[in-house]
Amino acid sequence: MPSPIYLDHAATTPVRPEVVAAMTPFFGPRFGNPSSIHRWGREARAALDEARSRVARCLGAHTDEICFTSCGTEGDNFAILGAWRTARQRGRRAVVTSGIEHKAVLGAVHQAALEGAEERMLSVDARGSVDRGSFGELVRDDAAICSVMWVNNEIGTIQDIPELAHTAHARGVTFHTDAVQAFGKIAIDASRQPFDLLTVSGHKVGAPKGIGALYIRRGTPLEPLLHGGAQDAGRRPGTENVAFAVGFACAAELATAERDAECARLVRLRDALETALMARIPDAVVHGRGGPRAPHILNISVPGTDSESMLMALDLAGVAASSGSACQSGSVSPSHVLAAIGVAPDLAAAAVRMSLGALTTDDDVVRVAALFPALAEKARRLSGTRA
Amino acid sequence: MRPRVLAAMSGGVDSSVAAALLVERGYEVIGVTMKLFCHGDSVPDRPCCSLESIDDARRVCEQLGIPHYVLNMERAFGRDVVDDFVREYARGRTPIPCVRCNTFTKFRDLVAKADALDAPWIATGHYARTSEGVMRRGRDPGKDQSYFLWGIDRAVIARLLLPVGELTKTETRARARTLGLDVVADKIESQDICFVPDGDHAAVVARRLGADAPALASGPFVTTAGDVIGEHDGFVRYTVGQRRGLPGGSSRPLYVVAIRPEDRAVVIGPRDELFGHSVVAREVNWLVPSAPPIGAHVEVQVRHRAAPVRATIAHLEMHDGPTAGRGGEIELSLATPVAAIAPGQSVVLYADDCVLGGGVIEGQR
Repeated sequence: MPSPIYLDHAATTPVRPEVVAAMTPFFGPRFGNPSSIHRWGREARAALDEARSRVARCLGAHTDEICFTSCGTEGDNFAILGAWRTARQRGRRAVVTSGIEHKAVLGAVHQAALEGAEERMLSVDARGSVDRGSFGELVRDDAAICSVMWVNNEIGTIQDIPELAHTAHARGVTFHTDAVQAFGKIAIDASRQPFDLLTVSGHKVGAPKGIGALYIRRGTPLEPLLHGGAQDAGRRPGTENVAFAVGFACAAELATAERDAECARLVRLRDALETALMARIPDAVVHGRGGPRAPHILNISVPGTDSESMLMALDLAGVAASSGSACQSGSVSPSHVLAAIGVAPDLAAAAVRMSLGALTTDDDVVRVAALFPALAEKARRLSGTRA
Repeated sequence: MRPRVLAAMSGGVDSSVAAALLVERGYEVIGVTMKLFCHGDSVPDRPCCSLESIDDARRVCEQLGIPHYVLNMERAFGRDVVDDFVREYARGRTPIPCVRCNTFTKFRDLVAKADALDAPWIATGHYARTSEGVMRRGRDPGKDQSYFLWGIDRAVIARLLLPVGELTKTETRARARTLGLDVVADKIESQDICFVPDGDHAAVVARRLGADAPALASGPFVTTAGDVIGEHDGFVRYTVGQRRGLPGGSSRPLYVVAIRPEDRAVVIGPRDELFGHSVVAREVNWLVPSAPPIGAHVEVQVRHRAAPVRATIAHLEMHDGPTAGRGGEIELSLATPVAAIAPGQSVVLYADDCVLGGGVIEGQR
């Protein structure tokens, strides 16, 4: 069997060898706890501080604006719940977001609503862009926080975050963006872009799962999620994951340095794949097409097929892809993102997301461009004969 | 290339051993668990189809080194099985959802998935046997599940693998232990219908039809002579042959002998009024190439685990058209009268251990 093809980089990426090398000493002699006063502690503390400032540089941030987290979900929850719980004391009682956000954001917003927040949903157009009119209407001076993702994880659409953050600011509303899929794909610069809070995650850029960061602009009040020790000035108590923080810093620097070249490469590969698939399946629908789109995501529906069968057939043929979301059981569920941008249920139920990245080669694209249409044709023929 | 088989895995011991035996025999096995319904948060722990069962199936597949997928079949199962279940109870009948699940969900929809994945074979953990296109009883008389399989498309039998049908339940458990499938080897068997929490089918009907549905409203207990002798709390809670929950005070034990949804009556009578001399069934399906002729002698079973009785085909009317081989009506004259022939249950026809076909019981004559 030919070597398998990994087209699920939006789910996770392999840990880069440079990252493994950078982390290794911290699983060995440099095992100290950064809070300890002795030499082991000092050594760990120095490594952690250095990692923090390296991540900060990648985001155009001050070192003290970087809070390490365990994952993107923690960052999103910390940002939204932290901002809401602080701002409600000042009478700001609304939380604003969009229907195409990651479940980490929607879940945190839902929790805020349970705690008394008014939940406001921004409208999103068919291309996946947040509607400016709706933004202007809902992001008022009674809002505690507004959260809009930079790059959508299912369809890859890019929002104009600097512009939205600017508008929010003018109304005194704290602005958060989930930049988990944007990091390494879009230039992020906190010194020029006025977002207050920004979530990134390590394992999407070649660091291990279990590390991420929340950028917290100086002066942004944020109630901590965890309570206990004084680590990270009390913002995020708990012994820091020094090894992973170092690994994340390494991965973040590599991703930032390689960004332009890698994006150009991925756009070329993604467009080649998209063009080949559309040529062979003329009635296929690419979601989020027509608006600004990140280079690594291709979400395509072949009418008359279903995601579940396509994903299984692809997997058995050695191609790893995904649909938008999976439920806890691992079964394929309808995508809330595609529903939010008005994709018809039957078409949404056929969506297959292929996300390119470090492992993707020209040869992969050629093979998938040949294989995918054949599997889709088969799935379509069978669904036509089904009772 | 190894022959590919799609194995339906519930996370229980039978389907796990079935998959393991097929791996042993050199098949390329693809494990799938069908997610058929979702209770949400209301029912935390169910022995079947819960998240835990899906996880068990996944762990078994990991152990066997085979891929595992979860198939979301909630919508079709809801339409073909749960809706019918509710409709039948609302008509005062006693449905067998497992029969419809086999007919529609497992051996139609899942077969379509197998086709999509180029799998010529399909496997389950049923205690029944297939050979040369014929469906037979399982070897373990105490576990035989052929009664639930009469409705499937006959063409599927030729591609159906039922490895545990050759085993007794005890042997299956022993195989699970020797195969190291500790996750499932000693799992307690569920006797309940998978989507009915705590065996409370009335609650399922109430959830679908509303608590004020006629099937759940109070109505009279009526004797076969026509006397009203009490009130019940909804005919949905009764089934023909039932003794539990009936008014006391009679010198003889009383049984439900019929349910009349039109006046919400539960008709009760002594045991001798429970016996029928013939069975009428509809939605007839044959698992043999041609239906036996009128006058043919067969054995029939009107309940799971009931002893088969000899019968003669007294009347047979087949439907033509797109569903040839399925549909139509049959009347069977029983050599010895049988108790509690409940509308909605299945009558299954056998010749020795071979399943000829079956139908949904309409009533007795």
